[in-house]
Amino acid sequence: MNPTRKWRRTVERGAIYAILTIFALVFLFPFYWLLISAFKTQGQMFAMPPQWIPHPATLQNFSDLFHKTNLPRAFVNSVIVSGANVFFSVFLCSLAGYAFAKYPLAPGRDRLYNFVLGTMLIPSAVTLIPSYMILVRLHWIDSYAALIVPGLVGAFGIFWMRQYMIANVPDDLINAARIDGCSEFGIYWRIVVPVARPALAALGIMQLIGSWNNLMWAFIVLRTKDMYTLPLVIYLLNGENTQPYGMLMAGGLLTTLPLVLAFLFFQKQFIAGITSGAVKQ
Amino acid sequence: MTVEIRKAASGGLWKHRHFYLFIAPFFLLFAIFGLYPLLFSLYLSFVKWDGLTPAHWVGLSNFQKMLGDDQLWTALGNTVVIGLLYVPPMMILAFLFAQWLNAPWLKFKALYRAAFFIPCVTPMAVIAFVFQLIFSSEHGVLNYALQHLFPWLHLSPIPWLESESWSKAAIAILVVWRWTGYNMVLMLAGLQGIPADYYEAAELDGASKIQQMLHITLPLLRPTLAFCGLLSLLGTLYMFDEIFVMTNGGPGSSSTNFGMYLFQISFDDFRLGYASCVAYSVSITVIVATTLMNRANRRALDEGRR
Repeated sequence: MNPTRKWRRTVERGAIYAILTIFALVFLFPFYWLLISAFKTQGQMFAMPPQWIPHPATLQNFSDLFHKTNLPRAFVNSVIVSGANVFFSVFLCSLAGYAFAKYPLAPGRDRLYNFVLGTMLIPSAVTLIPSYMILVRLHWIDSYAALIVPGLVGAFGIFWMRQYMIANVPDDLINAARIDGCSEFGIYWRIVVPVARPALAALGIMQLIGSWNNLMWAFIVLRTKDMYTLPLVIYLLNGENTQPYGMLMAGGLLTTLPLVLAFLFFQKQFIAGITSGAVKQ
Repeated sequence: MTVEIRKAASGGLWKHRHFYLFIAPFFLLFAIFGLYPLLFSLYLSFVKWDGLTPAHWVGLSNFQKMLGDDQLWTALGNTVVIGLLYVPPMMILAFLFAQWLNAPWLKFKALYRAAFFIPCVTPMAVIAFVFQLIFSSEHGVLNYALQHLFPWLHLSPIPWLESESWSKAAIAILVVWRWTGYNMVLMLAGLQGIPADYYEAAELDGASKIQQMLHITLPLLRPTLAFCGLLSLLGTLYMFDEIFVMTNGGPGSSSTNFGMYLFQISFDDFRLGYASCVAYSVSITVIVATTLMNRANRRALDEGRR
């Protein structure tokens, strides 16, 4: 390669690194702002020019938050709701996904599968009111079940599990276990689940994020303070005219942190999960 | 003897009972929280109901009402404007990021990818408040940055959240920030599906980088781009959390999109029959439109191959 071309390439690559780095910093900036605002007083938050590093830093927002809201309780509620949602959806979807992937001869299999998949097209906005009415009938309003159960029926989980199992769980493995006298549920539990672990993790993290962040449904079905989840507590701090930004930021930081850590930990699986839908198209 | 009769009666069903057992738990919940709401909502489209007093049948009058519902048309108009404001910059950024992150020589890929992607996993109930701080007209860091980065423009503080003409732009910025990384990841997967020899062959034939992009990358990425477009369309229409927390649809109804409007008529006004009718009509229209677009897209692809 001649020197001018090499030099041009270096400049080009340098420019790309620069642009990517600037944009990455811009995209991360709101998180930085959340982090430092949590340690600022209301006055510091609106100071001009802006304070890039809180000086002096205060812990007042956190102590206000723990005095005025029941944050530990909300945290526990969020953990219970998200945990149950993740566990049950991964279990139900992997079991049904396995059945759809590995019992090709069952009558009506394809028709049932296509039917479930077809409902993916219909947005949850359509079913919002009837779902709410069912929860009223079942006397589930203001309960954990109201937050956990309706979120379990997404068709995406089945689609994703079926795709993964067709591609990654060998029929020979299943047949060998069957010949060895393993029960059908035993095959699912002891063979299929361990092999499909990456897919289970991907679905789990997707459910976790959706359920941890869920605001609208919590807002609709929860009534008493003891049942509030983290996003709802944060949202309802918001007054009519004045907003307690200090507490909002402190609470926001505590709500966001566990999720960011979970994402960084399971990043690979999560991305594999969301891209599976697009590649199929 | 009985076993044989049972087998004969149920054909393959008994033989494949494990299949039905395994899908049963999902289908039970699906029937209650998926299928029943769909049918019930269809019924509600033809009644007038506030959720408390008995519903009464009104036939097609809900559908008639939609035509004259100015708020609905305003919300749909806002949806289109918000979409036009954010989709092009988001898609262009996502495409460029994906293109660069796909380059074999780039280092720190995981770091860049995480930085762009992480906004879409964070709770909107939190992030919208952070953006309220950033967008504050007199004390916000965005206006401060704009005024100091471009001093020669002599910008006066932009009332991002206080004015009817800027609120849509504020929502658009928030959405670009939140969903660019998601689209980037989808496009990255699409790009990785294009065989490297195509580019090597083009390179040998002396095709420039721009030509390679126009004649290899874009045509082969078309299905992915169509998928991203579809997600953006649905995302804009049904977007809720972003708007609910940051502007609550205001000032006035300037940032009320379709999702926000649907929520208001359902859970503020309790016009449950009418809300179901609106939700159904718009969703069906969108499904029909996307199916037609999808077909046209396929046909164009097939003709391109011939």
